[in-house]
Amino acid sequence: MSDWVEITKIGETDKYETYEYFFGPNHPGMHGNFAYVVDVVGSTIQKVRVSAGLLHRGFEKLMEQNLWFQNISLIPRICVPDPDPNEAAYCTACEKLLGIEIPDRGKFLRSLALEMSRLTSFLMGMGALGAMMGLYSVMYRMMDERDNILVFFEWLTGARIYHMYSIPGGVRRDIPEGFKEKMLKLMDDLEYNLREWDRLLFENPVIHKRLKGIGTIDPVHAVEVGITGPSLRATGYKADVRKDDPYAAYPYLDFDIITTEGGDALARAVQIRKEYEQTINLIRQILKRMPGGDFKVYLGNPLKLRIPAGDAYARVESSKGEFGYYIVSDGGIRPYRISVRGPSLPAGLYLCNEHLPGMRIDDIAIWMASFAVCPPDFDR
Amino acid sequence: MNNNDIAEKIKAVYKDLEVKPKYSNQVEIRADGIDIVGLLAFIKSLGFEHLSNVTCVDWIKEKRFDVIYNVWSYTHKVHITVKSGIDRDNPEIPTVMSLWPQAQVYERETHEMFGVKFLGNPDLSPLFLHNWKDIPPLRKDFDTVEYSKRAYGASSPEGGNE
Repeated sequence: MSDWVEITKIGETDKYETYEYFFGPNHPGMHGNFAYVVDVVGSTIQKVRVSAGLLHRGFEKLMEQNLWFQNISLIPRICVPDPDPNEAAYCTACEKLLGIEIPDRGKFLRSLALEMSRLTSFLMGMGALGAMMGLYSVMYRMMDERDNILVFFEWLTGARIYHMYSIPGGVRRDIPEGFKEKMLKLMDDLEYNLREWDRLLFENPVIHKRLKGIGTIDPVHAVEVGITGPSLRATGYKADVRKDDPYAAYPYLDFDIITTEGGDALARAVQIRKEYEQTINLIRQILKRMPGGDFKVYLGNPLKLRIPAGDAYARVESSKGEFGYYIVSDGGIRPYRISVRGPSLPAGLYLCNEHLPGMRIDDIAIWMASFAVCPPDFDR
Repeated sequence: MNNNDIAEKIKAVYKDLEVKPKYSNQVEIRADGIDIVGLLAFIKSLGFEHLSNVTCVDWIKEKRFDVIYNVWSYTHKVHITVKSGIDRDNPEIPTVMSLWPQAQVYERETHEMFGVKFLGNPDLSPLFLHNWKDIPPLRKDFDTVEYSKRAYGASSPEGGNE
């Protein structure tokens, strides 16, 4: 397919020439291996075509060939910056089919991992957004901050990036000795550093100039095209899976759904800033209200776990939107079918056709970062 | 309204359908051989405005594909799974793009992975698999081990070359 590897001139008039331009997969503004192939006149985009599949690892097929417990090691790899919602959604769906309720301590520990993962993902997301505008120091500072949380992940779960912490029936291990106090201290530090993020990023005139009016979407259209999570709440629409379809420990925690008016990239950045603060508060609540007792239900030999025949859909609010797992079991030791609903697909593969034409090449990276488009979760 | 009320409301209009509430907030609808766009338009008018995904399950023994629509209502906080069984040898179903435009991408993916033809969808070209020439890979009769041996000369999982 020679037309995929050459940059081609696709049209010429006496005034201008149209070129086909590859934005990705090896572009500094692209997260993950994915490309938009855009037709440009000057630097204005005329038409966009997606070139996905470079991260397609066949996970859905692979999961049908593994045992129910073996899949736990595959699932976090579907979303690299925010892996825990995958585990939680898979385990919640399995628990629905098994008809079990996990112990309260297990629920709180699961929520703790989810919220910590949300913090790391927000830091990466805000940092990427800054980097896309040339504010690289913001990204380096935020990646440093993210590392502080990864140290705690290593302490809690034994792994930094792919935690494999939730399992059907609860979580893998209990909270270590001394973890609570040090985690609360870290939350104070993170909250203190928010002032630095404000000065570096959110009060920076650069981001107001670059983000205002990029990718504006109204709530009705956002719902229609399936936008979820912070991007939907940034249009002023009140929806949050943690409240609407509660899972883990969220029914026991006090929080409100935060929204921002506007619906453009600036509103989405402000929304993430607000939710970052809310997440810090949620972690404090989780640690302070942590109940005693067991943290998992014993389900017998994990290699012989059978899940009753049937199907279930479970959704989890990730830092990018709704992560959903549709699981079908035929009563065997392996899943019959697992279908993953990633949060980036509606924006990354559909909405790009509506938003990108008319925009400039420089704004593609900002548009992607503001919608938190993460290619691994639609390629799978 | 909870999931029992929603199930009653759907049953009042679609009397022959198998509608059953399950778990705390889910409803399952078995919709074989009926106008799927009409049913989903009715469900959408009840307040189910969010399409989570469109996917497919291959029931090879029953010679059937189940096309699955997962929809969610932000107003009622209820989830509906609509399963539409179609013939495995001639998998065709109308597109629901008119209701949810992003369904175009999900249908394109399902077409690529299962070979289900969505009538009316303007673009069903391959999305993830470049230069794929075999049967659609998520079908149950696609054997990954056999394929990797044939296409790449891979050795057997037990070890040793064949």
